[in-house]
Amino acid sequence: MPWVPRGLRDGIVTTRYPRRPDGYGPHYRAAITVTGGPSSPKASAPGGDRQLASLCPTRAITVDGGEVRVDRGRCILCGRCVAERPELFAFDPGIDVAAVERDSLIVPGLAVGADHDPDDDSVERARAELALRVRSLRRSVHIRHVDAGSDGAEEWEIAALGNPVYDVQRLGVFFTASPRHADLLLVTGAGTAGMAGPLRRTWQAMPAPKIVIAAGTDAISGGLAHPSYPTYGGIGTLLPVDVWVPGSPPSPFSLLNGILIGVGMLDPRRQR
Amino acid sequence: MTSLAAVARQVDPDDLAGAVAGATDSGGRFTGLVATARDGGATSLRALIADGASVEIIEALLPAGVDHYRALTPVVPGAFWYEREIHDLFGLVADGHPRLDALVFPLTGDGGDRLRPGRPEAGVRVDPDTSALPGHVYGEGVFTIPYGPVRSGVFETVEYLVETFGEDIPQLRVRPYLKHRGIARRFTGLDPGDGVLLAERAEGTMSAAHAIAFCGAIETLGGVDPPPAAQLLRVVHAELERIAHHLDSMIRHTEGAGQAVAYARLSWHKERLLRLQADLCGHRFARGVVTLGGTTGPPLLAPDEALGALRAIEADLARDLRTLMTTPSFLDRLRTTGIVAPAVAVVHGALGPVGRGSGTGPDVRIERPYGGYRQLGFAPAGPRDAGDALARQWIRAEEVAGSWHLLRQALDELGAHPDGPWRCPAPVADGTGLGWSESPQGELIYLVEVTDGHLAHVKARTASFHNFALFSHAFGGDILTDFVFIEASFGVNLAGVAG
Amino acid sequence: MIPHLLVAGLCAWAAGAVIGLAFDAGRSPTREVPYVAGMVGGALVCAAGVLSVLHRPTTLDLGSTLGVGRTLVRLDGLAGLFLTLTAALAVLVSACLVSWAHQPGRLTGHGTAAGYLVMLGSVTVIVVAGDAFTFLFAWESLTVAFYILVGVRRDRGAHPGAAWVTFGIGKASGAALLVGFLLLAGRTGSYTLAAWAHVSPGGLHDAAYVLVIAGFGAKVGLVPFHVWLPVGYPAAPGPIRAALAGLAANVGFYGLWRFLAILGRPPVWLAVVVLVAGGVTALLGIVFAGVESHLDRVVAYSSVENAGLITVGYGVALAGAATSHPRLVAVGLLAASLQVLAHAVAKTGLFAAGAFITADWGTGTLDDLRGVGHTHRWAGTCFGLGSLTLAGLPPTIGFASEWFLLEALMQEFRVGPLELRLAMAAAGALVALTAGVAALTFVRLLGLTILGRPFGPAPDPTMVTDGGIFGRAGLGLLAMSCVGLAAASPWVIRFIADGLAPVLPASTVLGALKSPWVLQPVFANFSILSPSWLSVVMPIGFLAVGAFTVALSRGRFLRVRRVPAWRSATTGVAGADSYSSFGYANVARHVLGNVLGTSRQTVTVEDVADTGTLEAGHVEARSTVVEPVETYLYRPGRRVLLALANAAKRLQSGRLDAYVAYMLVALIVVLAVVAAVP
Repeated sequence: MPWVPRGLRDGIVTTRYPRRPDGYGPHYRAAITVTGGPSSPKASAPGGDRQLASLCPTRAITVDGGEVRVDRGRCILCGRCVAERPELFAFDPGIDVAAVERDSLIVPGLAVGADHDPDDDSVERARAELALRVRSLRRSVHIRHVDAGSDGAEEWEIAALGNPVYDVQRLGVFFTASPRHADLLLVTGAGTAGMAGPLRRTWQAMPAPKIVIAAGTDAISGGLAHPSYPTYGGIGTLLPVDVWVPGSPPSPFSLLNGILIGVGMLDPRRQR
Repeated sequence: MTSLAAVARQVDPDDLAGAVAGATDSGGRFTGLVATARDGGATSLRALIADGASVEIIEALLPAGVDHYRALTPVVPGAFWYEREIHDLFGLVADGHPRLDALVFPLTGDGGDRLRPGRPEAGVRVDPDTSALPGHVYGEGVFTIPYGPVRSGVFETVEYLVETFGEDIPQLRVRPYLKHRGIARRFTGLDPGDGVLLAERAEGTMSAAHAIAFCGAIETLGGVDPPPAAQLLRVVHAELERIAHHLDSMIRHTEGAGQAVAYARLSWHKERLLRLQADLCGHRFARGVVTLGGTTGPPLLAPDEALGALRAIEADLARDLRTLMTTPSFLDRLRTTGIVAPAVAVVHGALGPVGRGSGTGPDVRIERPYGGYRQLGFAPAGPRDAGDALARQWIRAEEVAGSWHLLRQALDELGAHPDGPWRCPAPVADGTGLGWSESPQGELIYLVEVTDGHLAHVKARTASFHNFALFSHAFGGDILTDFVFIEASFGVNLAGVAG
Repeated sequence: MIPHLLVAGLCAWAAGAVIGLAFDAGRSPTREVPYVAGMVGGALVCAAGVLSVLHRPTTLDLGSTLGVGRTLVRLDGLAGLFLTLTAALAVLVSACLVSWAHQPGRLTGHGTAAGYLVMLGSVTVIVVAGDAFTFLFAWESLTVAFYILVGVRRDRGAHPGAAWVTFGIGKASGAALLVGFLLLAGRTGSYTLAAWAHVSPGGLHDAAYVLVIAGFGAKVGLVPFHVWLPVGYPAAPGPIRAALAGLAANVGFYGLWRFLAILGRPPVWLAVVVLVAGGVTALLGIVFAGVESHLDRVVAYSSVENAGLITVGYGVALAGAATSHPRLVAVGLLAASLQVLAHAVAKTGLFAAGAFITADWGTGTLDDLRGVGHTHRWAGTCFGLGSLTLAGLPPTIGFASEWFLLEALMQEFRVGPLELRLAMAAAGALVALTAGVAALTFVRLLGLTILGRPFGPAPDPTMVTDGGIFGRAGLGLLAMSCVGLAAASPWVIRFIADGLAPVLPASTVLGALKSPWVLQPVFANFSILSPSWLSVVMPIGFLAVGAFTVALSRGRFLRVRRVPAWRSATTGVAGADSYSSFGYANVARHVLGNVLGTSRQTVTVEDVADTGTLEAGHVEARSTVVEPVETYLYRPGRRVLLALANAAKRLQSGRLDAYVAYMLVALIVVLAVVAAVP
């Protein structure tokens, strides 16, 4: 009974996202972005390409002919590059970091600024294929989560989706106990050898159509836990992944963003 | 951070058990057994004995070709899981061990197997061999309920095998191997700066505690004492992490008990805490803050603003916890559930809330104060003797209160250091160092060896691993419906168990 | 006509018994012959039974041909009803036994066939006996036949003391009947059963009533006489168990019915005692059936349960008789008769099917019997339908009978005495609880034993007989009876009404027919049920839902992708990985711990080197239960008896003067008693 006045006093704490942008989202460091243009003279100065690349503990930075790129699928957001080379790298706030193509996690894209993005076609195709597949879900989705070797933080962030702040049930998103009832497989962790079999069994047990989301940098590339003798370096080699959500761990908003993209409740283009 | 540079007492492999038993008999506390691969196939076995203000290392070197030694477990029961882990990863056979079943990495074949994955020469890929997993309860009508690895809910992966003739849980087996990531070997060869990042991810929900303990070991080797402001900031993050962790355990209790309102409110408070972490450092789990020689920078939020935010959460949380802990329908589910008998806890050397709920358990912040805790005071929690899930909850509630107290002091004092310094140069010296911290789950110890400025061997002795060996002892008269509470009341991070 | 059929049937059985005794049972080529004779005799006696129900009652006076007073054969509806039931079952059980004996080496005990046929004969004679001598003579022959059949097995599975327990309780039952009969004969001066109807109410009448009910109660397994069922039935060889439990036990109920007709109005307290004893028996029986881990013992305990249920129905009839309420007598007796029918058919089916299953699998332990329906289609079907019947689920006859029983108990508001109302209410609660536990018990048998996922060693397919040709016919008919009798329930009730004519007018019992297809608990406007319609509507409903689903899914319902069952994605475990029968019963062990005296132990197995299968440091878990009557009544009782015997030994001092002194004391006591009694 004492709970009632407290609830009334604290009012509604639930976010309006995705109907309206959430005020907290932009404050959170969700990704690294390259501020120096690809042809920027800053890129090659000082110390050379190799040193720039070795700045990153997970080799997410590549320098190719003066073009600096960050693979968000490898980035663990340690912030070392921002601290060391603030003129080149910056934290990218926001929540819309999920992608339907692994390659589109590499920023900046291969031909940013050109009239025609050759990569767009494949992204477009992937998106269309996904939309076709999830049409029958009718905008409500049941999620089965599987930990394939996470560090434990991803689970906290996924569980947070059920707290009153995010409350994903208002969007028709539910977590389910059995993969038999699941439409979406949310996988975290670097893909350990021990979980390869259980992960495959879970995926097989799901009815079609099914969506697979790789949640977190570990699930995309293995992160810092890879290379190691019992890890596969992400789950992409174990399952066909539909949506990639970077982050170490991805924030609840990033996860929600990825889920909504996966079930076609959010058009990633309109977000940006 | 003021840890000892480790000095090891050398003993003969067959005398290790006797030496450790002698040390524990004379007041020491067995707190870990670490195996390290040495050149040429030799293996070093190091037992960690916490003895008042220091940690003693007793080392035995098994030369190449020797893969049997006298088991510690018969005289030091706390070594039960450690010897199984070492058997899995190094192929060493503890003679006289009661049950050397596979734990963190099942592989068939016993000693003489040089390709056990704990050794660098084992290769880049080793797959577990599930045929090495045995059964172990017998009796009329006994069958096994596999609970996991994919369980109902958003949980970390683990497989529990309940061997039962119905709803009782006479014995429980834990298979944490599924998410074994080989973290210990992953450290080898890393730059110490990268090592901090990996330590943060050894147990992702206790990043600050791991970073502090790891940095402590390196800083001890280098003779570095980080600046006071940095030490206070580390305390702030570690205590916020502790409150969030304890809240997570309580949230899982409320979820299991169907206390929907309490669940909603506590998980809202936890979200606010994580957001406060992020406001202070840019990361919800305080990663990338603690670094060698201090912190990566000043707090992003002014201490007085943080204090204000903190006070609001503290007031709400205290009120909600008070109500929750006087709700009979909630307490009834926890009372006498999952009893870890104090005698068992003492013999095992249980850590953190699990230990303190059973009348034992050190608090490293008091036993061997480190960093900012040397100048901050707080009332330690417990201990309580009931040993049930409720006792562990009370310990957590008391620890949360202590953490608020520490946070207020630390933020107050941080106000006096607006400009740091936040970091001092931290030269990396070769040698063997020990670092520790009180993680939310209990005493965390890092044993670090540095060679040529790079990490040669690092072992994080997590409280999760040490405590979880007691898990199967907590099912005295409990049935399946109690499971969720017992698991939540242990509150372990399974990544830290699997390694 | 009827006597000729009877005599012909008895002669066929006698001939079979002679052949059975003359030749070796195990491998002789004639080993099936006695059971064929059993079938033939059964068919003849069954015809006699049906005719007796349909014709006017007659009594044949055989004079003093047997040398012990007048021998009377009474052929009335009640006798015909039980003759029909037992003889029909005799045909089916004999058919199963033909197939059973056909398998070489299955029947090893010499005298099994003779014992079986003597048992059939005894049952028939008891049912038609019109005088006390014939009745008791046949009753004692039945006890001897039981003793032979329970003790005939010499193999590993036999319980050593089973025959003695069976014989002991049988003798106790016979003794109670003897004393009761002597009391009645002494008062009326006649050994004709019918003559005892004139005994005036009073202490002697009530004492005789109690003794007779106790005597028959011991035969059917009423608490505290139930202890012989779980040891006696399983000890008998193969389908013989079906004959003991499903067929011969019915004479106990016949006796109860018959003496209600003879002795008439019982004292109110007796009805109260019978109702409570019935309720307790039912609950105790089903509780132990729910936790037993051996197939035959589960089925045997279910006999205890059904004895209780039937006795409760009988108790309602007694209550009606005690308060002069003929309709209550009618509903109680009708419920009890239907329950007798349901139990007889289902129990025969369960034991007969169980015999083939356990013999083929080589084990009777439920934990080892998994998915027997996959190996035994016929026996499994019969076992499954029998289980549904005993669980009281539609559309079986068990559902109709349990419905009647509960409806009968709900009439408690119509009786006057408060104690009777309370007893009926208490019995109602016990029966309802029993029905619940029964569902749990038979779900276990049906879900795990019959339909479960097989694991562990299964029998070699070439060795599986699944009943053989005759056995399958018997099992099939038994299975069909479980549902067919329910569909035909209006006719069954008409037949029973005719059969109960000696107790009360058929027209009263026929009040149970609201309309030709709809039943009611004799009292109008209370409630209705139509098992016949149910057996039409239920299959149509299933088919309709199935067709609707297929149509709605446009056929996709039939095209599904099959993946392994979801097991938490486990890598797999050593040994059994799903609920064992023992484990399934753990809920009952927990919840009913007060009745069962459940205790649990966990033992660390340290020294296991000699077994070679266990490793040190492993754990053995146990959960055990305690049979209360045996533990707290018979065992202390046996100790007291032994102590008394030891004390009595001391009297045998061997000195003449002491013996003379004993005789003097005895004489004085007798004289004192004679002087005291007016």
